[in-house]
Formats: sequence, C-alpha cells, structure tokens
Amino acid sequence: MARVYNWQLGREMSYWYPESRASKQFAAVFDINKCIACQTCTLACKTTWTSGKGQEYMLWNNVESKPYGFYPLAWDLKLLEMLDGQKWNEGGEKPVYEGSTIFESAPAGERVMGWRPEDEDYAYPNVGEDDCAGGVDGGANIFETHDMAWFYYLARICNHCTYPGCLASCPRGSIYKRPEDGIVLVDQGRCRGYQECVRGCPYKKVFFNMMTGTSEKCIACYPKMEQGIQPQCFVNCIGKIRMAGFINPPDKANPENPIDYLVHVKKVALPLFPQFGLEPNVYYIPPIHVPTSFTKQMFGPGVDAAVKTYREAAANKDDDLTGLLGLFGSSEMLMERWKRVGDKIIGLDAAGKQIVDVPLKEPVVERPAFDKLYQITRTNCP
Amino acid sequence: MKSTLLIALIAVMIGAGPACRRAIVSTPDVQVVSGQTITLDANASVWNPVPVHLSKQIQQDLVEPRLMEASTQEVQIQAISDGNLIAFRIEWLDDTQDDLPGPARFMDGVAVQLPAKIDPNVPAPQMGETGKSVEISYWRADWQAVVDGRADDITSIYPNAKPDHYPFNAKPLENNPDAQAQAAQRYSPARALGNGREGPRTEPVEDLIAEGPGTLAPGPNAFSKGKGVRTRTGWAVVITRPLPAGFSKESPSQIAFAVWQGSHDETGARKMRSGWVNLLMK
Ligand code: SF4
Repeated sequence: MARVYNWQLGREMSYWYPESRASKQFAAVFDINKCIACQTCTLACKTTWTSGKGQEYMLWNNVESKPYGFYPLAWDLKLLEMLDGQKWNEGGEKPVYEGSTIFESAPAGERVMGWRPEDEDYAYPNVGEDDCAGGVDGGANIFETHDMAWFYYLARICNHCTYPGCLASCPRGSIYKRPEDGIVLVDQGRCRGYQECVRGCPYKKVFFNMMTGTSEKCIACYPKMEQGIQPQCFVNCIGKIRMAGFINPPDKANPENPIDYLVHVKKVALPLFPQFGLEPNVYYIPPIHVPTSFTKQMFGPGVDAAVKTYREAAANKDDDLTGLLGLFGSSEMLMERWKRVGDKIIGLDAAGKQIVDVPLKEPVVERPAFDKLYQITRTNCP
Repeated sequence: MKSTLLIALIAVMIGAGPACRRAIVSTPDVQVVSGQTITLDANASVWNPVPVHLSKQIQQDLVEPRLMEASTQEVQIQAISDGNLIAFRIEWLDDTQDDLPGPARFMDGVAVQLPAKIDPNVPAPQMGETGKSVEISYWRADWQAVVDGRADDITSIYPNAKPDHYPFNAKPLENNPDAQAQAAQRYSPARALGNGREGPRTEPVEDLIAEGPGTLAPGPNAFSKGKGVRTRTGWAVVITRPLPAGFSKESPSQIAFAVWQGSHDETGARKMRSGWVNLLMK
C-alpha cells in the first residue's frame, strides 16, 4: 500500500497505488434541495446505456429517498456498520478524519473492506421507500409533528473517485482512470467478471451483468464529455439540480471554475461519505431541512456551515452564490468557467467563450386574466 | 421387502458411477497413458485402468484477494494421450452445482496449467512469471450449461423475469436480423469486444496464457475442448488439448491444477490451487 493525500480527510491515507491525479478531474455538484425525484435522470441514462440483456436491474444513475430508500438495499448501512467509529477531529483549523477508511480497514487477504449485494438487493428499486410503514386506522390523525418528518432525494451516479475502490479491488487492472479527465472505466475487453469491483465500491456503482459476464458502470457519458457536452443525466434533469465540470485540489482552487467555487470557496457542496476514503467527485449541496446530525454522517463535518451559507445566501445578498446556482441546467454544454457581471451570470467554456447567460433574478411577468389579443379569459388550472 | 430393495438399490448405486470408486491409490506424478482413444466422456471405460494422481490443493494465499478459508482439499487426476492430444479427467467433490451467473454468484470451475516451454527452470507455479509463461485450459460450469443448451436469455437465469422491451426488439428492426444483432451489441460492449465471459459459446473451455498473477490473457490458440458432468458427489470434467510442445517419454513436463467452488465465493484469485507436479508419458 502507498501513502496518498486525501484532502477530504485532511490527511494522508493508505491506498493500493501511489497518488497520481488526473490532469483534469471530472466532478459534479448536485443540489439536493432542488431534486423532485422525477427519475428523468435515471431514465435518460437507462435508455442511453443500459437497455441490453443483463442490464435489466442495472441503474448507473438512481434516485433514492433517504433515510429509508436504498439501491441496492442497505448499500450505505451495510458498510457504515462495518466501518469503525468514523470519528472526525474538528478541533484544528480544518477537520481531520481519525477513523479508518475502507482501504485502511481491509481485512487480511483483501484489498479493501467491502461486501457484495445479492440479486434480491437490486430487485426493488424505490419500491415502498416513501410508504407508511404500517396501516392507518380509520379516523387516525397526527397530533404532533413526527420526529422524523423529513426525507430527501439522493440522486447517485458513480463518483469517479480520485482513489476508486473499484480500481483498487481489481486484481487484473481491468479498471482504469483516464489521465485526461479522471473518468473511471471498466475495460470491457479485459474484465473477467470476478466481481471484486462490485465488492470494493462502497457506493455500489459497479454492476455485474450476468449476460455478458462482466462488470459495468457509469462512464460519465465520456463520448459527450469529450465534445464538451454534459452527461445525459445532467442535461435531462428536470429539477436542474446538476452541474458537471472539473475540480481542482483545494490548493489549486480556481474561483472562476464553478465546481471549485461551490466546493472549495463557498464550501456549500460536500462529498458523499468522505470517510470511506475514496475522495469521491460528486459533491452534494446538503438538504437544508434535514437534521444535520443525520447529514453529517453522510456528507462530513462541513454540513452545518454549508447549510448556513446556502440558507442565508439570498438574505445576505450573496449574488455570486445564488447567481451561480441559477446557471445549473441552463445549457447542455460544459461550463468550465463562470463570472457575474452585474445581474447577469455568464457560463463560459474552457477557452473563455461565452456559452450562456442567465439573469440573477428572473423577471416577473404578469399575465392578465383577459387576453386582449384573442379576446378570451384565461384561468390557471388548479 | 422394502429394506431389501433399498439395500439392492444402494448396492447398484455403489457399483455405478465414477464417484464411488474403490479407495484410490495415488501416483506421485501425473502419468499419461499413451496409445489411447481420446474421449470427452468422463464415464467412458477408457479411464478405468488409468492411474489416478490425487492432487493436494492449497489456498491461493500469495496475492490479494486471497482465499482465506480452504475448500476443495484434493482433486483426482487421470491423463491419456493418442500421440497428438492429451486428455485429463478431473474429478472433485462439490455438493452444490453453481452454474447460474448473477450478482454475488460464482461459478464452479477447474483449470489445468502447463509451462509454455519445457525447461528445467520451471515458471512459478502461481500463474507463471515474466518471461516464463504458462498455458492454461479453464473449464467453467456455466459455460458447460450454455453448451448443453441453456438459452442466452435472462429468463434462463430468472424464469419469472418479464423484460418489457429491448431496443433490438424494436418494430423497425423486426425483419432485419443484422440490424437486431447490431442493436443488441451496442448494449453489450464486452461481447462487441469478443470477450465472451457469458453468452453463446461452442466450448466450455477457454485457452489462456499468463506471465504471473493478474496477467491472464486469451491464448494464441483456442485448442482446448472439454466436457463436465455432475457426479453424485461433485464434478467430473474432461479437458483435452494438444500434447505440450516437446513433451515425450524422455522429456517430461510439469502440471498444476486449480479449482473453484462457486458456493464458496471462489472466483479469480480466490481459488484452491496445487504446486507443480511431474507430468510423465507412460
Ligand atoms: S463510485 Fe464506485 S465505481 Fe465509481 S469510481 Fe468510486 S469506487 Fe469506482
């Protein structure tokens, strides 16, 4: 095992291979507060990539309702149970993870600590996760607010981790991370279907295809990314919760890069289970209505500050932050740079060419009930 | 009356089938009986007089992931040759038949490994080493099931599955098998690359070469054939391939065996393997 630096943990850690960062690292920010769980992302991915034989239950993109939804079943709980105390030292300048990662907890004979879901664990995506746990008797009503009167939608794709568990687990080197964009791929010509990657990915985002006998995963729509276009699940997102781009390590953070700005400068977007140790590259703006005692375990110690910044952005007239969030979903092109000019937010490509601009505030348009042009009274549907 | 019948039945069962041989006298080497007619039938009488080598299996514990808990202790090996081909009959105990692929499901299998070149300086027994490659013939239970007629369809694995639609079943492609095949391939990149881990195949055996752990690759020749059948206590598999280059009475070689029990989550490096044993032509 080599020693590598994981900035999300604030420390070095052990990893199967030495540190070698991609020259650009694919990354994304998902604003959980805007997700409506319409599953358009899931379908966009499914129809594009996983409509074949053996991919029936494979969802490279899925949306689950937390805390009771999982795909596959209990994917996070199983590993959280296996992992030690997951303690963070928050006394210093920045939090340092004092627990063990999946690499540091690898039992004898294993490359990482992991587990393999069985077919039944994949069989019921989203079924029952928003339902009442029991029957409601006639005349029953709720007198008080339930302690857990919250839930949120967690949209998930492969995190194209800086230190992928899948890649470390493969004894054949069939998984590789592209040096040019950090996208993690399974070489379909080399994979022999040992399912070690399925076992080793804590996010359970590699899937075994029983009809090809190989493991398959999210490819970050690399043919689109190579053309400067965001992946399918991003451009089809109805809630406009997603922005794809590239992230720099914190010491090289560039505020003109929208991902860097949200992750490193504003610190409103946080990694998913950073304590696993993979330096995952999909960052989440945590749900602001959920007790942070819950979200802290999922997104790390930055949750309180992130929620505060996001909540107060409008009141504090943080036009940069609120404006940048308006850029999400405004173009299918990759916006590697951004800037605000007055009340306009501009998305630019890597060369600095403008792609799109959005207003800081959408103008309010009032439509009179009586349409003079057509001499008709229009009413809004209830 | 009933008990007499039962005893008679047991007697018949003991008398039949390769799994219930008399106590085995193991030869220290694998002795290839020459001048025989090659067969893929594990129950053929040609095997009856052929000496048995009991290959002691040990856990693969050199590279991660290792097999931490032992399973198959020994494998019975017999070998015959007709002067061109060599056939191995391999039998081992395995009380579950694991041939249905799926998540967290692994396949029963067995492999025969030979040094690519006969040389006193033999390659490392664990998959060879750089510059000293090994040739491997690998049989797998799921491939056998496919060769024996299992359909290349999800319902052959999950009989109650009802996929609503596949793009290759789209109406406009209905009368165009080529377009259908192309559409199917688009969603099966491994098949498009010729990496037939599952799906239609004509042989349950695969030819491989390796120069050390993690380097396993398709061999230059697809010359191995095989057939595996369930015995009452496990598997009996016959694997045939050409005689190793330069192998003769005067010039013996080495051989090693590996076996995987699917029900024990054995796959890839998680296997029971042997060291080199002498392979002698008799
Ligand atoms: S999320 Fe899982 S599949 Fe994706 S790179 Fe990380 S370890 Fe690999």
